[in-house]
Amino acid sequence: MSISVGDRLPEWLLPRVSREKMKTMALVLDDPNPIHWDLAAVRGLGMGERPINQGPNNMAYVMNMLADWAGGHEHLRRLRVRFQANVLGDDEVVARGTVVALRVEGGRTLAECDVELVGAAGAVALSGTATVDVSGRA
Amino acid sequence: MLTEEDLAAIVGRPLPGGEYTLQPYVDWLVHDAVEAGVPGEVAHPLFGFIAGLRGKGISLDDLFEICGATAADGPMFGEHETELHQPLRPGETYRVSGEFVSAERKQGKKTGIFDIVGFRLRLTDSAGTLAATTFNSFVFPRRSA
Repeated sequence: MSISVGDRLPEWLLPRVSREKMKTMALVLDDPNPIHWDLAAVRGLGMGERPINQGPNNMAYVMNMLADWAGGHEHLRRLRVRFQANVLGDDEVVARGTVVALRVEGGRTLAECDVELVGAAGAVALSGTATVDVSGRA
Repeated sequence: MLTEEDLAAIVGRPLPGGEYTLQPYVDWLVHDAVEAGVPGEVAHPLFGFIAGLRGKGISLDDLFEICGATAADGPMFGEHETELHQPLRPGETYRVSGEFVSAERKQGKKTGIFDIVGFRLRLTDSAGTLAATTFNSFVFPRRSA
């Protein structure tokens, strides 16, 4: 399948952000912030009744979308994101992307993409740009 | 609150750095935690962020202190960039080095004064090859002028 400017990447959907997997990531990231795993702390801070997903997890969902589209994580060259809103446990999120440019560098064809992760009520949790090696496909 | 001169003086300050070994079992756990399916020969690219965070040689609390803040001040992630010069590999040990590269004071109508401080990190593999470069910025709300 060829790739062209304006192509929309296949959406990557997560129907329900797991509260339990945040606990794994708290250990991996060595992140002691209790808003990711302690509901009493979340309530105490007036942040509601659900844990707050780690920002890096939200970024990883976009990386997953890019890998599914490109055929593996090895094709990702660059990802830059700006964190804009929280994602909560049990939220549905969807990662989206659009090809905005194609260029050749060092004999490789690179696709520049606009990307975002959209959470509850259509709120953009993060947005940014990515560069993906699409050699042989564009 | 840091003076603007003190804030500007952060730029160029090196981070201690260190090492991060990308353990295959941790790659498996990260794939599972971020719903990425079954891991393969290439590690999840989120390890560009993770290896830098874990190997930068300074805790977040100490990093915040350099920026004149504490975790209680509510610092927030601003931006992140990962540039992969080669795929990250499970089992590899990466040398982490870096420095602060930006520090800027801003004022918003609703947010008041806040500072944005950025630092860049490099991941070098055991053969000495640059594998990844990352940039992170934190936003520090400043409650008084």
